[in-house]
Amino acid sequence: MKSISLYSDNGTWLCRVHPFTKVMYAVAAISVPLILGSLWAFAAAIIADLALLASGKVLRRARALIVFSFTIIATIFIVRSLFGQEGSEIMFSIGPVNVYREGFMIALRTGLNILSMLLAFAVLVLTTNPQDLSTEMERHGFSPRFSYVISSVFNIIPQMMGTMSTISDAQRSRGMETEGSLITRMKAFIPLITPVVTSSLITTRERAMALDARGFGAKIKRTYPETREKHRGDTAATVILALIVVLSILIKAALWLS
Amino acid sequence: MAFIEIRGLKYRYPRAAGLQLDGITADIEKGSFTGIIGRNGSGKSTLAEAILGLVPQFYKGAYGGSVTVDGLDASRTPVSSMCRKVGLVFQNPFNQLSGANDTVFGEICFGMQNTGVSAPEMRERAEEVMEMLGISEFRNRNPFDLSGGQMQRAAIASILVMRPDAIILDEPTSQLDPAGSEEVFRAVDDLRRTGLTILMIEQKIERVAEYSDMIMLMDGGKLIASGSPSEVLSRDDLEEHGVRPPLSLRTAKALSFRCSDGTYPVTEKEAAGLMRGRIVISEEENGKESQAPDAATENAVMEVRNLSFSYTAGTEVLHGVSLSFDSRRTAVIGQNGAGKTTLAKLLKGLLKPSEGSILFHGEDTAGKSVASLAGKIGYVFQNPDDQIFKPNVLDEVMFGPLNIGMHPDTAEMKAKEALSMVSLDGKESRNPFDLDLHERKMVALASVIAMDTEVLILDEPTIAQDDDGKLMVSMLIHTLSERGKLVISILHDMDLVASSFERVIAMAGGKVIADGEPAAVFADSGVLSAAGLELPHAASLGRSLGAKRIFLTDSSLLHSVHRL
Amino acid sequence: MSAKDVFRTRFDAASIVLIPACIGINYIGKLFASVLKLPLWLDSIGTCIGACLGGPVIGGICGAANNLIYGLTTGDSITLVYALTSLFIGFFVGIMARTGFMKSFPRALVTACVAGAVAIVISTPLNIIFWAGTTGNVWGDAAFAATQAMGMPLVLSSLVDEIIVDIPDKIITLIIVFVILKALPEKLTALYDASDKVERL
Repeated sequence: MKSISLYSDNGTWLCRVHPFTKVMYAVAAISVPLILGSLWAFAAAIIADLALLASGKVLRRARALIVFSFTIIATIFIVRSLFGQEGSEIMFSIGPVNVYREGFMIALRTGLNILSMLLAFAVLVLTTNPQDLSTEMERHGFSPRFSYVISSVFNIIPQMMGTMSTISDAQRSRGMETEGSLITRMKAFIPLITPVVTSSLITTRERAMALDARGFGAKIKRTYPETREKHRGDTAATVILALIVVLSILIKAALWLS
Repeated sequence: MAFIEIRGLKYRYPRAAGLQLDGITADIEKGSFTGIIGRNGSGKSTLAEAILGLVPQFYKGAYGGSVTVDGLDASRTPVSSMCRKVGLVFQNPFNQLSGANDTVFGEICFGMQNTGVSAPEMRERAEEVMEMLGISEFRNRNPFDLSGGQMQRAAIASILVMRPDAIILDEPTSQLDPAGSEEVFRAVDDLRRTGLTILMIEQKIERVAEYSDMIMLMDGGKLIASGSPSEVLSRDDLEEHGVRPPLSLRTAKALSFRCSDGTYPVTEKEAAGLMRGRIVISEEENGKESQAPDAATENAVMEVRNLSFSYTAGTEVLHGVSLSFDSRRTAVIGQNGAGKTTLAKLLKGLLKPSEGSILFHGEDTAGKSVASLAGKIGYVFQNPDDQIFKPNVLDEVMFGPLNIGMHPDTAEMKAKEALSMVSLDGKESRNPFDLDLHERKMVALASVIAMDTEVLILDEPTIAQDDDGKLMVSMLIHTLSERGKLVISILHDMDLVASSFERVIAMAGGKVIADGEPAAVFADSGVLSAAGLELPHAASLGRSLGAKRIFLTDSSLLHSVHRL
Repeated sequence: MSAKDVFRTRFDAASIVLIPACIGINYIGKLFASVLKLPLWLDSIGTCIGACLGGPVIGGICGAANNLIYGLTTGDSITLVYALTSLFIGFFVGIMARTGFMKSFPRALVTACVAGAVAIVISTPLNIIFWAGTTGNVWGDAAFAATQAMGMPLVLSSLVDEIIVDIPDKIITLIIVFVILKALPEKLTALYDASDKVERL
């Protein structure tokens, strides 16, 4: 079954780190440069992300994740730095095209921020089993309903994708065209989506009954078949990361006051 | 006091006009095996849901009378508590997976987690039920990746693991193939021996007859009869309530063989024990079953030549299949994974052959799009829910005809005609999804029949149908064939194959292993075991009674057996 | 209908299971749109269906959970930012549906405009904060560049960009939702809007 989750256990240490530690890392790696606002902080965060991805042996898979953002970043550069407001400073010109300093700096900052966010999330996403994350959240006080929603999304979507091709076959068998003009393609949307929606909602109704029949929603504290092995240094890493966030807030505050 | 006490139970679904359950009173004793039979829509599933308390707690609606399980009022006890007394296994194995676990082990633990079972006990109980249902080897597999039979066993395991006092199985095999059904029935048989209280709703009457201590017959929301299997199944009005008695009973009844208590034998074994040596079987074949094979001489409608296909490079699902389809009604049989559906999809043009060619009236279909072939070759998919999208039945059935360019008036006429062929006339303006699954299957069937194609390919048309539905499918196949259409059907129901088809193609491992008249194919035990198939009931009873020839239909058996 | 009825929400199994299904529908809608090469996103069909069936609170949860789950697990942090937009779309469509604005086609169009307006009001500031005012959509960003060159203030340009991108998408989305809701069987809709009371016979 094809999963929509990007996680796969490649046996490296990063996969064994507690999901919460990685969440804390992503929070820190994204928020610290935003708080400090310096380009150097962005660069440092991106380097840290890349180092972690490399040591977790997922750098290659991370590349696929960020490639699509390049067009967005390029758009931002073109739109912001080439179409400056009147009176803004021209940084340099390429032939007839003027590049404005203010717009360029905004685009640079936005671009770095996008990269930093994507890479920080890549560290979390590529090495964490979503099921693991939701189970841990549930154990630490989140509602079981909440973690049910998370885990089931990952199981339900591949199922729905499986029915997609069957539905497409069934409708084409009844003479429906899925290629051609925009109007033809638009008309095909309803016959394709409606069976998925209706049958998944009907499934939903039966599944809801089946969950009730297995005690879901009972007002009893849930138990777990296995306990999670603690990874060395989880607590320490989380504390240090939190301290870095606090420290950066303090630095920013100090700079701001002075 | 009985373990389950049902007193004057009445129930109406919200917004429904009539009562779904109408004054049911029954007692179910601890440790008994109760079979619940009746036609589709008779209220069997609703009764099961009422015992667990889903009716009325989940659906709301209108409720009267009472259901008491081990002293608890089912209408008020939360389902999440009642599930420790009664477990319910639903028809569709797929829909009852929690969806929140990516391993079979996790899935089985889900219920115990909710009821707060301690970790060591949870692991122990999970291992125990996986062992019992023979699914230990799948413990780390994703439950969604299992076959239907394996998935349904996992579903039974995940209910059993909660240690309920009673378990209700609601047509646990209705959506499975024969191999999957057999796996599940074997598990049910094992459970029966453990002394667990079991209620089983089932259409496969032979199984109910074999397992049950008591049978409840329902129709129109009412309990028509309850009693021992032979008592209930011997009733003369059984067929009026939509249930055909087992063939063993019908044969014994026709020849007036009664058990000592005046009832008729219900299982093949009982019937054989009672009748062997006291009957003669005329071994002479009557006209209908010994048709001369004139097939090859006819003009081929469709032809496949040296057809091979693989979904992913290197794993071929069809190997060099060559067949010629003439106008004979043709059944394609074989286990799941034998390549039947792949062959059908190739014929329809939904898949393109890796090698070989497909000819329609001598013309290669390779360059044609699916939509352009739609007016010539019709294909009815197994699951009707994969195609239904219109808010009313008539529009749904007219979708295909309009797509292939039929005039709206003609399309409407064809649609109405098709709907009356599947007995859905009068339901044109209903929402298809408000109909039951067996009726939705008929809507899907009608929506292809209305396209008036020369070839019709049916994928498992009888799944989820009761005896009346099967009869209707059989008549439909005959009617279409008489109108000059080529009907090709993938089937698991051997009784229907034997009684309604002129040609049988048995497949195994992507190859055709037998091709010929039903009598010839079913006579070849090598083919049957290679294709993993059972004999039709008529053939198997005939054999138990000592016949040498293969009986294909109930009527031929009934006509050939005489009392000494 | 009183305010209490509009916001009434059940958290039983039926409503909880609705959420992942709707998130899945969002995903499939987006996928079909790209398979058919439609110039629209159509990625909030599920959120709107959840809102129409389960009410504003379930709708809001569907929307927010959708973006959070995809953002946090597929690494698409761009989606993450718009969790707020999805939340409010689900919430407001839910209110409109509960007050009868999905009952007829013209009324559904009003709901579509509300959804579009919500998307613009919430997304424009997010675009400005996170993507320097752009949306990542070719046509919208071309308009952004053009209006910027004309000397329009950043907020207005970004607004134009967002209107071009979101209004057609939301209108088509709600038309589709309207058609799908019409096709849903009573058995199913009864589950979400039937009264909580069991009638005694």
